[in-house]
Formats: sequence, structure tokens, C-alpha cells
Amino acid sequence: MTEATNQGARSARRSADSSQAARATASLSAALPSLEVDDIPQQGNPVISFDRVSKVYPAQPNRPALDNISLQIYPGEFVFLVGHSGSGKSTLVRLIIRELKPTSGTITIANEDLGSMRNWRVPYLRRNIGCVFQDFKLLPNKTVFENVSFALEVIGKNRNVIRTQVPEVLRLVGLQDKLDKLPDQLSGGEAQRVSIARAIVNRPPLLVCDEPTGNLDPQTSRGIMDLLERINRTGTTVLVATHDREMVDNMRRRVIALDRGHLTRDQQRGVYGFDA
Amino acid sequence: MHSLAYFFKQSLQGFARNLSTTLGSIITIFLSLFIIGLFLVGALVVDNIVKSVESEVSITAYVKDDASSQQIEEVQTFIRGLDGVAEVSFTTKEEALEKFRNMSSNAAIVDELGGNPLPASINVELSDPQQVQDVANQIEQSQAFAKIADEDNPSDSLKYGQRTVEKLFSVTNYLRYIGIALIILLVFIALVFINNTIRLAIMARRKEIAIMRLVGASNGFIRGPFLMEGALHAIIGAVLGIGCIELLRNFALPRLQSSLTFLPIELGFNSFLMIYLILLVAGLIIGLVGSALAMRRYLKV
Repeated sequence: MTEATNQGARSARRSADSSQAARATASLSAALPSLEVDDIPQQGNPVISFDRVSKVYPAQPNRPALDNISLQIYPGEFVFLVGHSGSGKSTLVRLIIRELKPTSGTITIANEDLGSMRNWRVPYLRRNIGCVFQDFKLLPNKTVFENVSFALEVIGKNRNVIRTQVPEVLRLVGLQDKLDKLPDQLSGGEAQRVSIARAIVNRPPLLVCDEPTGNLDPQTSRGIMDLLERINRTGTTVLVATHDREMVDNMRRRVIALDRGHLTRDQQRGVYGFDA
Repeated sequence: MHSLAYFFKQSLQGFARNLSTTLGSIITIFLSLFIIGLFLVGALVVDNIVKSVESEVSITAYVKDDASSQQIEEVQTFIRGLDGVAEVSFTTKEEALEKFRNMSSNAAIVDELGGNPLPASINVELSDPQQVQDVANQIEQSQAFAKIADEDNPSDSLKYGQRTVEKLFSVTNYLRYIGIALIILLVFIALVFINNTIRLAIMARRKEIAIMRLVGASNGFIRGPFLMEGALHAIIGAVLGIGCIELLRNFALPRLQSSLTFLPIELGFNSFLMIYLILLVAGLIIGLVGSALAMRRYLKV
């Protein structure tokens, strides 16, 4: 993280025209200045490191969900993980938050080996990883505010922290006027913003999204992606698993492609294009 | 402290959510603890009786009707010479009948009998209750007593405290087995009920639990409300049980004492306090074990 921050500080001094973006995100964290896409260095310790990771589900012993995957994702990167349904995107995401354990290979998150991690440590790992899912996973009987504050409450944050951080993060995602709405009074895009707010309210260095725009129309998806990009500019590493071709082609970020469990492509500023 | 308050709030919500099953588990805990309590009180009463019988250790040696007074005198002298004997006295057939007539509530029965069925006896008071078995053995083995013993076997003609205690035990043992079986059954039912109630509470909060795991709530924090709920059931059940026993102690026990004056069922409040403490702890263990079992099966963290 520190390398990225130093780099970011340098780049912020270098380019004054990126200060507008910096202002937009300053409310999340003033300490983390903005980065330009091209400046992200792939050096230092990777946030996520897969080393020859395979995952075989017992139900399908002959068809590994992930086969011998090796990849590194560095602090501050914005990475798309693309592939058809069943290509292993969700398996990869669930391996990162250690909901699953790999059949073989080692996964390292922020210098910590998930294979040797004790079960009781897993919650503390997850506090450093924000998660966003296609189905939002909001609690229907809690308001927008309560849904976000719940994430802080259950990790034992005190009331003062909740009172200051929750409205701040809801302002960041543009829902400052909907604090008291229930999830079924929100549009799909708004609901996804709430779940993003919940994922980043604890300021995790890594944000993992599994099909965040899968249920949304293209325009709303664009808004969500803008939000993710803004979060990325504050220094948060973002990994987005998606099969939204338009989005990937527009944003021109690093693309990692999976096909039936194999890593077929890892490209800076890539496009979706399987067929290419 | 803050999370304890949170657990408490959550478990109260669990109560409201599954009121009928919650009541079911509370009532089964209450009943099993109540019955455990009754058996504990009964055990204390029996213990008291046994102690009072033991403290009145005397040996009664029944004597044949046709024993001569010289033979009786000989035996009495022999017994007086034994270690641990304080006093030896003789009760004639007539005196025994008179005693029985006074003790029995229905004196008319005695008159109906016609003859006198009661044997004469030599009564031995002991200075040292510990030696009752030794003294009884020596009387049993003496040639002089064998000649005048009421029954053919001298040991059958000897009655002493130890035997009464043994008889009491053989009766109470049966009661104890029945009680233990009943308690095991009730504890089992209570465990099943709590298990089920907590399972429902877990099912009702499945979504919340999934999110808690996602955002990194610690395992203890996820389990806390359910353990608290099980413990609360247990405590409420235990308090009900203790209340019922306290009512019995205040209203039923004095009546029992006045109608069974010959039994020493005087129990101090301290022994009841002890029983209440046992019930509370037993209830807590049942509640915590029950919810822990449910969490093992239905709550993967």
C-alpha cells in the first residue's frame, strides 16, 4: 500500500489537472490523493497473489473450476475479471475472501497465506476486503442507514464512528437523501450503491465485486462503474468480476480472462473480446 | 459491554419471533428443573432421617417366651461386659404390649388380638454408635443368647439402627433410580426443545448471519446472541422452577411436618439455597449446551 501512496503523492504533485477528481473523493479519505490510471506501478508486494491455484469441486472431479491459476494484483490497480458463466469467476472471488479453500496452490492476500490462516483469523481478513454482489445482499427490514451501520456494528465499532462514517460514505455514493428508505423503496442502482457503501464504509484496502452490474441496465451500470473508479482513485484496489462487455471495452483497464477454469489472457488496458 | 447489550437485544427479538417454541423450551426446562429440585429436597429429607436413625443407635435383642429369668440375666451380664455398651435394660412381654398400645393410634386392635404376640426384649444402649456392628456381632455369636433367641437364627432376633438404615436405603434406592431416569428423560427433552428453538432463531436470521460473515464479524459475535438466547431460556425456566419449590416450601412443607411428626423433615433455608443454586447452574448448562448443539449443526461460521 505504501508504495502506491508514495507514487500517488508524486503524481498528484506532478499533474494539477487531476485535482478535480481528487476533490470529488476527498471526502472518503483526504490522506489518499488520486492516482492516474497510467501511473499505477506493478511493483511492491501484491495485494492478491495466486500461485498455481486449482479448485476442484467434489461434485465435478474431472472438471476443475479453476486450473493452475497464477496471477498478481498490485495495490491501487483496477482489474476486470471476465469470462462466461461457469468460467470460474465467482470461485476465484470466493477463494479471495476464503469462503472456499483451494484444492492446491497458495493464495496470498496482503502477505498473508490463506492456506495456513486459522479459522478464527478469517473475520479479520474479511474486514480488509469489501465485497459487492450481484444480488446486493441488503437486509429488507433495515433502512439504508441501518444496512450500512450494521457492517460497522457487528465488527464492534463504537457509536461515534458509526455516526460520522455512515453519512459520509452514503454521501460519497450519492444517497445522502435516502438514509431512511427501506431497500424495497430503492431502484436497483440505488440498492447496489448501498451495498457498495456497506463494502467500503470500513475503508478496506481491497474491494471485490462479483457481477456488480449483473442486474442493472447499461446506464445505471455506467454510474456504478464510475463510482467504483472513484473509489479506486482513492487508492483502493478494485477487482470486478463481470461479463459486461461494453463496460470493460469502455474503461480500458487491466483485464484478466478466464475460460473454463483456465487463465487465457492477462492484459493491461484490455478489452472484453473472448473471440479475439 | 456494548456487544453484550447487543446480544441481549437480539435474543429478546428471537423471543418475540418464535414465541411458541420459546415458551415450549422454557416450560420443559422449568419442568425438568422443578422435578430435579423435588428429588434433591427428597434426598435431603431422607438423608436427615437416616442421620437421626443412626444417632439413636440401640440394639434390641428379642427373647423367646420360654426363656428363664436366669438365662436372661446371664445374657444381660455378658452384654454389659462388652466394649461400647452404656446401659442394658429388659422389657417384658407385658411392657412391650403396653408400649405398642401407647404408640399405636388404634389401641382397640391390641385388644382384638387376644393373646400377646410381642416378644420380651433386652435393650442395649451404646456409648459409641460406631461400635454398633461389633457389639451386635458379639451378641449374635454368644452361646447364651443363641439359647434364648426369639427366632431360630440369632441374627434375626437382633434389631439395630444399621438395619433400619439399610432398609431405608433399599426403598430410597428405587426412588432414586426412578428419579434419575425421569431427570435424564426431561433433560433430554429440554435439550431437544432448546436445540429446535435456537435452530429456528438461526434460520430466521440466516441472511443477517451471511452478511455478518461477509463484513467480518468475529465468530463469537455471530454466536453470542444464540448462546444468550439459550441461556435466557434456561434462566427463566430455572427461576420458575425455584419459585415453585419456594412456594411448596412455604405452604406444603409445614403441613407435611405437622402430619408426619415422627419424621424429622426439618430442613434449613441454607439447604434450599444450595438446591436453588444447583438448579440455576444445571439450567444454564442445559441452555448453553442446547444452543451450542444447534449452532454446531446449523450455524457454520
